[in-house]
Amino acid sequence: MRTAALVLIGLAVCVGTLGTAPYAAQQTQIPPVAGAAARSITPLEAKAAVDKYCVGCHNERTRTGNLALDGIDVTRVAASAEPLEKVLRKLGTGSMPPQGMPRPDTATHAGIIAFLTRELDAAAAAKPDPGRAILRRLNRTEYANAIRDLLDLNINVSTLLPVDNSSYGFDNIGDVLGVSPVLMERYLTAARRISAVAVGDAAEIPVIAETYRVRPDTAQDKHLDGLPLGTRGGLLVTHTFPLDAEYTFFIRLLTTTVSNIRGLEYPHDLVLLVDGEEVARATVGGKDDIEKSFENATTHMEAINARLTFRVAVKAGPRTVAAAFVQKTSAIPNATLQPYLQTTSDTVDYTGVPHVESLLLTGPFNPTGPGDTPSRRRVLVCRPTGPDDAKCATTVLSTLAQRAYRRPLTDGDVRTLVEFFDTGRRKGSFDAGIELGLRRILASPDFVFRVERDPAELAPGAVYRISDVELASRLSFFLWSSIPDAELLEVAARGRLKDGAELDRQIRRMLADPKARALVDNFAGQWLYLRNLRGHVPDQTEFPDFDNTLRSAMLREMELFFDSIIREDRSVLDLMTADYTFVNERLARHYDIPNVYGSHFRRVTLTQNERRGLLGKGAILAVTSYATRTSPVVRGKWILENVVGTPPPPPPPDVPALEENSPGKKPRSMRERLEEHRRNPVCAQCHRLMDPIGFALEPFDAVGASRNRESGSPIDGSGQLADGTRVSGPVSLREALVSDPNIFVTTMTEKMLTYALGRGLGATDMPTVRAIVRSAAGSDFRFSSIVGGIVTSMPFQMRMKSEDEGLSPKP
Amino acid sequence: MFILKKSLSRRTFLRGTGTALALPLLDAMVPALTAQLRTAAAPVTRFGFMYVPHGVILDKWTPATEGSDFEFTPIMKPLEAFRSQLTVVGNLDLGPDQGGQHSAPSGMWLNNTPHKRTEAEDVRAGTTVDQMIARQIGQQTTFPSLELATEDLTSLVGACDSGFSCTYINTLCWSTPTTPLPMEINPRVVFERMFGDPGTKEQRLARISEDRSILDSIAGEEARLRQELGTRDRARITEYLENVREIERRIQGSEKQAQSSVDIPESPAGVPNSYEEHVGLMFDLMALAYQTDITRVITFMMARELSFRSYPQVGVPDPHHSISHHQNDVEKMERHARINTYHVTLFSRFLEKLRQTPDGDGSLLDHSLLVYGSGMANGNQHTHNPLPTLVVGGANGSLKGNRHLLPPKNTPMGNFLLAVLDRAGVRADAVGLSTGRLDL
Repeated sequence: MRTAALVLIGLAVCVGTLGTAPYAAQQTQIPPVAGAAARSITPLEAKAAVDKYCVGCHNERTRTGNLALDGIDVTRVAASAEPLEKVLRKLGTGSMPPQGMPRPDTATHAGIIAFLTRELDAAAAAKPDPGRAILRRLNRTEYANAIRDLLDLNINVSTLLPVDNSSYGFDNIGDVLGVSPVLMERYLTAARRISAVAVGDAAEIPVIAETYRVRPDTAQDKHLDGLPLGTRGGLLVTHTFPLDAEYTFFIRLLTTTVSNIRGLEYPHDLVLLVDGEEVARATVGGKDDIEKSFENATTHMEAINARLTFRVAVKAGPRTVAAAFVQKTSAIPNATLQPYLQTTSDTVDYTGVPHVESLLLTGPFNPTGPGDTPSRRRVLVCRPTGPDDAKCATTVLSTLAQRAYRRPLTDGDVRTLVEFFDTGRRKGSFDAGIELGLRRILASPDFVFRVERDPAELAPGAVYRISDVELASRLSFFLWSSIPDAELLEVAARGRLKDGAELDRQIRRMLADPKARALVDNFAGQWLYLRNLRGHVPDQTEFPDFDNTLRSAMLREMELFFDSIIREDRSVLDLMTADYTFVNERLARHYDIPNVYGSHFRRVTLTQNERRGLLGKGAILAVTSYATRTSPVVRGKWILENVVGTPPPPPPPDVPALEENSPGKKPRSMRERLEEHRRNPVCAQCHRLMDPIGFALEPFDAVGASRNRESGSPIDGSGQLADGTRVSGPVSLREALVSDPNIFVTTMTEKMLTYALGRGLGATDMPTVRAIVRSAAGSDFRFSSIVGGIVTSMPFQMRMKSEDEGLSPKP
Repeated sequence: MFILKKSLSRRTFLRGTGTALALPLLDAMVPALTAQLRTAAAPVTRFGFMYVPHGVILDKWTPATEGSDFEFTPIMKPLEAFRSQLTVVGNLDLGPDQGGQHSAPSGMWLNNTPHKRTEAEDVRAGTTVDQMIARQIGQQTTFPSLELATEDLTSLVGACDSGFSCTYINTLCWSTPTTPLPMEINPRVVFERMFGDPGTKEQRLARISEDRSILDSIAGEEARLRQELGTRDRARITEYLENVREIERRIQGSEKQAQSSVDIPESPAGVPNSYEEHVGLMFDLMALAYQTDITRVITFMMARELSFRSYPQVGVPDPHHSISHHQNDVEKMERHARINTYHVTLFSRFLEKLRQTPDGDGSLLDHSLLVYGSGMANGNQHTHNPLPTLVVGGANGSLKGNRHLLPPKNTPMGNFLLAVLDRAGVRADAVGLSTGRLDL
C-alpha cells in the first residue's frame, strides 16, 4: 500500500507539470479508427466507463496529471470541453489507461472515443469560437519579404529591425510580437534607408561596408555547390549594389593562429566574379610568398591582403559575387582514407590549400547615377513630365501604398502621400519626392500592422466573416509570409474570395509560386527544428569529417524534400514514408548511397528502407543529438512532440544525472545507462514514453550516419510504445507511427493551424483540427487539402468582435 | 548556408559607413568626441547590469572570508586589480521555485518578481530596476537606456522553457510588468542608433525634420485608427503611438546633438565572428555611450540562458548549457568554471577601459555602478540561491569597495536591488519579493 502511494505521488509529480501547462502545449489526437469497430455508447455508459477506468487516479483528491474527472458530467460534454479534450487525446493515442492498469475492451474504448468526438464537435459547432485575435505586426521575415515583393529589393533585415520573440514554437505569434520605442525608431530608420536604395538617391546612400564570411568549419579543398565549375572553395553571395559606381572588394584568406596564411607552398589563382564574369584575378602562394610569410607573417599577410583588394566599377542592382580559387587538379590532395576530413579544424597547420575567410565589400565610390535597378523599375511606374508632375507621383505612390497597406486606398491616404511628395520634391527632384512619400508609407501603421477592422454595426461578441481583402492578407501571410500580390488583392477587392472555386484556384496558384518556399523556411524550419542545425556543432574529435559542407547538404536535402511535397501536392504522410530523397556526393557518401558524384543535388530513390521519410534524414537525426553522442531521450521527445503530438512535460528540478562512461570503467551502452535512470519512478513515468522511441533510432549516430555498434556493444533498437506496440529499429518505429495515419496528420495540422492563425490553439480549436483532418482524408491527405482545410476553417475565416467594444473610446 | 543562398535571402546592403576594423577605430574616434565630455561640475552616475547565464561554480566564486581584504577566488581573480571599488554580495536569493528553470533567472533577475507561466500575450513579470532608473535619470539623455545582448535567438527553435514564453529568456528588461524590451545584438546597429547615419550637418538636420513630419502625420491618424479597431487592438495601437511620441522626444535630443559639430566616427561592420570580439565591441560601445552621455543606463546580457555556445578559446568545446549540468563531475565543473572565469575576464577589460577614461574629476569607473551576476546559482541543479553578485565602481563616492558582504541567508534579490535604486535617487518601497533594504 505504501509503495503504491509512493508510485502514485511520483506519477503526480511528473505528469503534474503537464496538467498546468497551457493547453496548446499538449495536443489532441484523432481516435485510431484502424482495426477497432466502435460500439455505440450512450452518455450514461460513457460516464460509467470514465468513473470505472479514469476516476481512480483523476479525482479531486489526487488530481493526477492535474486532472479531476469526478466533478465532470460526461453526459454534458459542452460544459467541460477542456478536460474532455485531454481525455480524448490520451484515449486516441492509446496512452491511457496506462499499461498494466485495467482497460475497457477495444469496442468500448473506440465507442467512448466516438462518443466524445461527436459530442465535442457538436458543442463547438453550436457555438463557433474563432478564438482571440490581436492586432499583429509583421515579424522580421514578413517585413523583409514584404519589402522584396513591394519594391523588388532584398534587404538584410537583421541589421534593420530587432529580434522577434516566439511562442508555441513559432515566431509569428501575434501575442508576443509587441511594440517598443526601439522598434518604432528602427521602423523610421529602415523606412529611410530602404526608400533611398529603392529610388537610388546618391545623397542618402552612404559608403557601406558589408562583410560576408565563410563559416569557419567549411572545408574548401573541393568544389562547392553553386560556385562556377572549375573552381575550388570560396564563397558566393548576392549583393545589392545601390548605385552605378565603383566598389572595393577585400578578400581575406584563412590564417593559422600565428597569422600565417594557409596554403602558400604552391601558387594558387584566386578569381573574383560578378554575375559570373571574371572582374579580377590574383595569384597567391609559391616560393616567394612562403618564404616571406615565414620571415614575418604579419607584414606579409598585409602584402597579400593588398594583392587581394580590388576596385571595380559595378552597375546598380542585385548581382552575384563569387570569390574562389581556380581548381588545379581533381586529385584528392591528402587524407584519402578520410576524404571529407574537416580541413579547418587544425588551426596551426599552414599546409594544404588556401581558404577564403571573408569578403568585405565597400562602396559606392564615385557614383555615376542611380542605374537601372529592378526596384527603380518597380517603383517608377510612370515617367514624370517634370519634377512637379503630381499626376505621375500620385500614380506611383498610390500603386505602392495600395500593396503596402493591402487594401484599397482612401482619399485621405492619397492626400497624405501627395503632401509628402510635395515636401520631398522641393529638395530638388521628382525622385526625392517619391522617396519621402515611400518613407511615409513604410513607417505607417497600415504597413507594419495587419489591421483588421471590426464592423461598427455588429454587437460585441458577435462572430463574423472577415472581409475578402482581410482574408487575402491572412492567406498571403500564411502561404508566402508576405503581402498579397496584385492578382490576389484584385480578386479580393472584387469580392471573389467568397467563391469557393476561386479561393481554391488562388490557393493552388499561391502554392505553385516560388514564394511558397516560405512554408519550407518558416513553417517546416520551425516545426521540425531545422533552424537549429545552423548552430549545431558536433564534437570534432568524435566526428572529424562533419563540416559545414555536410551541414549545408543536410539542410538542402530537407528543403528540397519538403518542397517536393508542396510542389507535387503529395500526401503529407510521404513526409514520414517517401522512398526518395535529394542528395549530392557529400551527403550520398554520408548515407552510403553509391554512384552519386558532384556537388549538385539530385533526386534518388532510396533502397535503404530505414532512410525513408523524416526519421531517416541527417538534419533531424543531428539536431536531436548532443555534440558527442546520440540522445534517445531528445529524439523520443522530438517524435512525441512533432509526430505524435503528445509532448512530455519538462523534467522536474534536480534530476539525477545520467552516468557518463569514464576511462577505466567498462563502457556501458546508452540503453544500459538510461535503464538505470528509469529505475527512479519519478523519471520513469515520462521516460518510459520517450526512451523506447529514441532507442529505435539508435542505428543512426549523432550526425545521422548508420552504425551497428555503440560503446563497443551491438546496437539494440528494440522498445515498446505507450500503446503497447513493440518496435525494433527505425523501420518498425516508422511503421508503428503511421499505422494510424490520423495521428501524424493531426499533429502536422495542429502545428500548421498554429502557424496560420498566429496564435496558440485551445480546446475550442480541436474540433476544427479534427474537421480538417477528416476532410483531408478524403483527398489522401494531400498537402493542398490540409492547406485548403485551414484556409476554409472557421477560425481562419471568422473573427469575433471585441467584447467590450461598446465602451466609449478613451479621449 | 551562406554559400547556397541564391535568392530571397538575408543579404545585405543597407549599411552605414565604415570598415571591418572596428575595434581600433572605436578607440581612434574617442578624441573627436571628447568635446562632449561633461565637466567636473556635474558628474553623474552611470548604471550598468551585466548578466551571465547558468550560474557559476560557487566553490570557485565565493570568497572564503567576510568583510574586507578577502582573498580573490579563482573565478574572480581577473578582477583583483579593482579590489578597492569592488563588493561581492553573498546570500542573495531569487525566491521560491515556481517553475521556469531558465526563464525565472533571466525574467526575475532585475525585478525579483515571479513571472507568469504563459506562452501567450499575457506575459507578466515586473518592471526592472534598470528601467526604473532610466525613468528617473534617463530623460536627460538621448536614450533613457540601452539593452544589449550577444546571441541571435532566431536560429533556435524549441529552446525555451516549456510553458513559458521565450520572451522571459530573450530579455532582462521590462519597462512595465507587461512590456518586455528587445535587446540588440548587432554592434553596428547599436552604433548607428547612437550616432545616426553619416552626412553633413544639414543632411542630418533634414533627416531629423523629415522623421518628425512622418511621426506627426502618423500621430494624426490616431483618431481614425481608434475608430476602426477593437478594444484589444486599440490598446496595441495606443502603445505604438505612445512610442511615436517617445521617439519624437528622442529626436529632439539628437537634433541638439546634430547642432554640435561632432565628427561621427566610423562604425563597426556588423556582428563579428568571434565571441570575444563581439563582447569586446559591445563593451567598447557601452563605454563610449557613457563617455558621450548618450545614455546612463545599460543592461548587457553577455550570454543567454540555455545558451549552447561553446568556448573552445578557453578549452571548452562543450555547449555552455550542457556543461553547466556538470553532475558534480570534477572535470566538467572545472570546465564550467573556465567559462565563468572567461566571462569575468571580458568584464574586467571593460572595467579597465572605464578606469582609463577620464570623466570630470575622476574616471568613468569612479562615476559608475555596475552590477555583474547571474539569476542562477548552481546551474547543475537550477538553484536560485545564493546568486553570484558583484558590484563594481565608485558610484560617485556612494559605494565603498574591498568588501565581501554576507547579509542573512536567503536575503531576497529585491533587497539588493532596492539599495541600487537608492544610488540612482529612485524612491521605491519594494522591488518584487524584497523584505527590506540591503545595507550596501
